[in-house]
Amino acid sequence: MSAGGSSRTTSAGRLSVLVGALSVPAFVGVWELIARSRIVNAVLFPPPSTVAVAVLDWIHSGQFFGDLSASLFRVTAGFLIGTAGGIMLGVLTGRFRLVSSLLSPLFHILRPIPPIAFVPIVILWFGLSEAGKLFLVVWGVFFTVWLATHIGVQKVDRGLIRAAQMLGTPRRQMLTEIILLGALPYIVVGLRTAVSISFYTLVAAELAGAFAGIVYRIEIAQQNMQTGQVMGGLAALGLLSFIADRSFAAIAERAVWWR
Amino acid sequence: MVALMQTPLRPTPPLRLVDAPPQPSSAAQEAIIRVDDLSIVFDVPRGEVIAVDRVSLAVLPGEFVSLVGPSGCGKSTLLNAMAGLERPFEGEVKVAGEPMVAPRPDIGMVFQQPHLFPWKSVRRNIAHGPRALGKSKTEALRIADDLIDMIGLTRFANAYPHTLSGGMQQRVAIARALANQPRVLLMDEPFGALDAQTRAVMQDNLLELRDRINATIVFVTHDIDEAILLSDRVLIMSAGPGRILRDLSVALPRPRSSAILTDPAYLALKRDCLDLIRTEGRKAFEQMEAAT
Repeated sequence: MSAGGSSRTTSAGRLSVLVGALSVPAFVGVWELIARSRIVNAVLFPPPSTVAVAVLDWIHSGQFFGDLSASLFRVTAGFLIGTAGGIMLGVLTGRFRLVSSLLSPLFHILRPIPPIAFVPIVILWFGLSEAGKLFLVVWGVFFTVWLATHIGVQKVDRGLIRAAQMLGTPRRQMLTEIILLGALPYIVVGLRTAVSISFYTLVAAELAGAFAGIVYRIEIAQQNMQTGQVMGGLAALGLLSFIADRSFAAIAERAVWWR
Repeated sequence: MVALMQTPLRPTPPLRLVDAPPQPSSAAQEAIIRVDDLSIVFDVPRGEVIAVDRVSLAVLPGEFVSLVGPSGCGKSTLLNAMAGLERPFEGEVKVAGEPMVAPRPDIGMVFQQPHLFPWKSVRRNIAHGPRALGKSKTEALRIADDLIDMIGLTRFANAYPHTLSGGMQQRVAIARALANQPRVLLMDEPFGALDAQTRAVMQDNLLELRDRINATIVFVTHDIDEAILLSDRVLIMSAGPGRILRDLSVALPRPRSSAILTDPAYLALKRDCLDLIRTEGRKAFEQMEAAT
């Protein structure tokens, strides 16, 4: 009886794995069929095979790696700068009431403004330079990481702090070890959100005007009516941010090493 | 209202319940902990609460003193004041002649929860104090290893706290507090969160440990058995506002083990303690009634 039940579960499990493996190929197949059946305009809705050819051309032309490195640089540098600033200020506002009174109201007013809304002023300030693009990514990442750190620091077990005080822990070590590691589980959650935010702000930054980059390429292809290239760019961006999220999740699991 | 509850009751001189050798008076021997007319007041939304009300006491070097009382009687607050974690509202706490204004590494503390650093192994948790005080890594780890052997956790030296049982974690917390070789060890219901069996083992361990370390111990508990078993002196506190009702010498022979829990002399002492708490509690209650 129970054996029958468990074998049924296993076969149901196998079935769902199989269906899961077919999900993407089936979607691509249906897409190909619809696009080739001429129900829709193939110029606006090209089949996957056309998209694949466009992507191969993109790679062969040598532009792909230039675009990829330009985008990767903006995301990575923006993420690192925003994270460093967010953690540093989060520890300070979370730990010191005076710093918090000074900065938290300001941050709480600026934080809800969608970073994309800053595109016009960033163009005024920075023109089409790299600094402007970095600024947008840093801006988006900073507030997320700051808030996660600020909350994490305030939630550090008071008992841990008292225990550390009783053992003669110097002030600096209190901040850099007890407070920072105590808040780390919260910080890591904020960092993961910040990864997707950095891609989201990258899009805004490159749409606002750039000379290379994956989203820049998508925009150029759109102006030239190269729908296959547009879709190829979207696929590349999706894959990139998927890989970034998954690798970050893997790192995050090891970051809180004592769990 | 609170002011009306302040009765002229003062701590009475030690009541000797069993024949004890005459103790050296605190005047003859310099006290290591001296609490003078200490009051601690907390701000609460509806005004102020007197947690500790004009308490005076002295603890001699090497003494094991327990503070016993119901929950909320201010015994933990009094202990925190000795640790430098709580500032006096009035009066003064001096340890080794110096007024307590902040935590000091020559005073160790064990809390009800182990509060081990979850990101550090047992060894590194214990080595934290010596490292913080500037000892070399090798030296700190040597101190840690000695203490790990002493608490019998050699096999778990590299384990992380969350993999240990509650009793083992609390043993590590005690070892961590001892690593700085404190002159005073403050313990705030350290076995309160443990199950009865583990608690009994921990009490025996502490009695053994006490013979090997050279620290004055102040131990907070609400368990009279625990207090009598471990202490040289038991201070019984009243609730709201916290005050010391009686200062009792425990003249049971040492070394002690939990076997004395069935000893007639012990039972007599315990009955007296309980009677005292009951009468004093009732008296305080009646005074409160009369005042309102």
